[in-house]
Amino acid sequence: MPSEKQTNSLSKFISSLKQFIEWIDPILVPLLAILTSMIVGGIIIKSVGGDPILAYKGLLEGSFGSVELGPVKSQRAISETAVWATPYIFAGLAVALAFKGGLFNIGAEGQLALGAVFSSLIGYALPGWLGVDLPTIIHLPLAILGGLLMGGIWAGIVGALKAYTGGHEVINTIMMNYIALNSTSFLLNGVMKDPSPTNVIARTPLIAESARFAPIFDGLRVHWGFVLALFTAVFIWWLLNKTTVGFEIRTMGANPDAAHYAGVNVKRTIILTMFLSGALAGMAGAIEVTGLNYRHELGFSQGYGFDAIAIALLGKSHPIGVVLASILFAAMRNGATRMQFLTQMPVDLISMIQAFILLFVAADAIVRFIFRIQSKGERVVLTRGWGG
Amino acid sequence: MKKLNMMIALLVIASVILAACTPAATEAPTQAPAPTEAPTEAPTAAPTEPPVVEPTAADCPKAEVFCVGLVTDVGKINDKSFNQSAWEGVLQSQTDGVADIVQYIETTDAKDYAKNIGTFGDAGFDVIVTVGFALGEATVAAATTYPDVNFIGVDQFQAAETDGVAGLNFPEDQAGFLVGALAASMSKSHKIGAVCGTDVVPPVWRFGEGYKAGAAYADGMNGTTTEVFVVYHSDVGFDKTFTDPEWGAQTATSMMDNGADAIFGCGGITGNGAITAAAQAGAYAIGVDTDQYLTLPEAAPRMLSSAMKLITPGVAELIAAAKDGSITYGNVFGDAGYAPYHDVAGEVPAEVSSMMETLNAALLDGSVVTNVPPVKP
Repeated sequence: MPSEKQTNSLSKFISSLKQFIEWIDPILVPLLAILTSMIVGGIIIKSVGGDPILAYKGLLEGSFGSVELGPVKSQRAISETAVWATPYIFAGLAVALAFKGGLFNIGAEGQLALGAVFSSLIGYALPGWLGVDLPTIIHLPLAILGGLLMGGIWAGIVGALKAYTGGHEVINTIMMNYIALNSTSFLLNGVMKDPSPTNVIARTPLIAESARFAPIFDGLRVHWGFVLALFTAVFIWWLLNKTTVGFEIRTMGANPDAAHYAGVNVKRTIILTMFLSGALAGMAGAIEVTGLNYRHELGFSQGYGFDAIAIALLGKSHPIGVVLASILFAAMRNGATRMQFLTQMPVDLISMIQAFILLFVAADAIVRFIFRIQSKGERVVLTRGWGG
Repeated sequence: MKKLNMMIALLVIASVILAACTPAATEAPTQAPAPTEAPTEAPTAAPTEPPVVEPTAADCPKAEVFCVGLVTDVGKINDKSFNQSAWEGVLQSQTDGVADIVQYIETTDAKDYAKNIGTFGDAGFDVIVTVGFALGEATVAAATTYPDVNFIGVDQFQAAETDGVAGLNFPEDQAGFLVGALAASMSKSHKIGAVCGTDVVPPVWRFGEGYKAGAAYADGMNGTTTEVFVVYHSDVGFDKTFTDPEWGAQTATSMMDNGADAIFGCGGITGNGAITAAAQAGAYAIGVDTDQYLTLPEAAPRMLSSAMKLITPGVAELIAAAKDGSITYGNVFGDAGYAPYHDVAGEVPAEVSSMMETLNAALLDGSVVTNVPPVKP
């Protein structure tokens, strides 16, 4: 007969194992979804006559480097992954924050573009308007703030429409996307177009040196904006979990009626949530301008705002989840170049694998069925749909 | 406390991911030596024969292995347009025995231009072909980073000569001139149209102006007066101007409502929309850049011709010149041409087709000029 002590420690072990499974549960499904989609992707690669192992080797080497590739190219690979991850983190946080408040911000793409446009405007035109050269310590924050406010106001309008007229934010953010993207195109082809005589591309002039982030390492493109992105993720986590505002946002997301009865000003919180969400998306654009491209051009930022929805879903709207999901998406987008170099497979394959990941995350019943995982606890409500 | 636990769990997962990644990385070397094993096997199989080793991209740094890489603009290798034509030129150089290794990378975002070019540069490729004027700056910058590489910039006008960069341009005005003359000669209503992308892009503008000039030239030959409608989609941005088939179709339809019976589409998918609408309405459709009879089946039955930039031979010739060292930098001009009549060949009178042959030859030898300036004044 086992002693009391032994039973105790065994039950302790079992309970801690249970606890571990409980912690791991929220990310177990995304991880298995990634695994499953990699396998499905591998089958597709094989079926079109490719070499899946070589393809995934290229993907891994291209995004994180390898011994075979050597230190210089590996550093560059990691740096480029960070470069790709930077806007993804900001835009992913934008969508995730809105999800937490029960709002679906599909407009990150437009907010990001406008943020980039206004950040570049401040970057290249402000010293001329003021007639003085600004020091970096003033100019750079102003350029970021410009993008942040522009994105915030753009999304805040949608929040106000929802709060005061009940207009659904899904439709309104989509419509505002059209306005934002076409205005961007109009501005970049018109008044904001780089006036240098040989330029035929729709893009702004280069921003002043004083509005630029320095690269972290010489010779690599990764810039301090990436570090800022990581800090922003921590900040958003803090905001959501440790502040009254965050509590109000989460309460509204869980149940707006209950929030109302608990004394939350729901209208104000809707507008604030959309503003913060748009501000993060605008920041994604501003950081791309000030940290990487030093201007805005129509070919830049292709669909980050839409990838961001996927990233927020994959990251389960948790700031740390968003960072991990951003790094995954960044690695896939960045590694695609080397994968294609090695295998000559179409890069569309990467988009397909991304789509499979999302499919399996969204329809998590499939993954739970394949891996026989039981669903525990209540499901995370991302958004309350049309009735909200 | 719960949050701390969460963090620990995440770290555990992160290490699991990393651990899961490791096998792939260690598998890689077992994969990689496979090509290098081949040479050791080959001699044993045929000891008297010199070992025939298929070089791989890993051999590109060697002087005797001639490698050509191609970087597309944001778009696909099989776009039935520039990227595809340029890639066919690269493939032709391989068929001709000039290039040993040919590879491409498709660009998905403009910020990757430099990285994608650099992937070939780092791998020791001898020639890097970059397609489209948007890659112009990245190409010039890469020429400094990789001084041993010959760059071929398709459709990249070189305002200043850069060592190592050959900008492959085409006399679009001549191509437009040819199809303009053809359209004016074939039109029964003596009204013809052109639906183009933005005139801000000089090549597009030269197509349109060449079209007008060609129609006027044919009028002089035939004793007719042809009304020419040329419309540029300059009212929208770069993201839209070449990718707006609905606008193209509407514009072509309104031209046909005004009596036009031949439509020239010059401007990517916008132009495709225009000539598809024209073909469906029974008017003559005239394609651009490549022989669109082969690439646009919707318009093929009524495809009269296409104003062609002969990109494929242009690229192949420059690659050959790069190999034998005769390549020149700065602006290099390829040839323009017009595509065969295909399905409507029976409708083209003998005198028109002979006039076209004469005109093509005259443009090539310079006895006929289009008088279209290089850029919009």
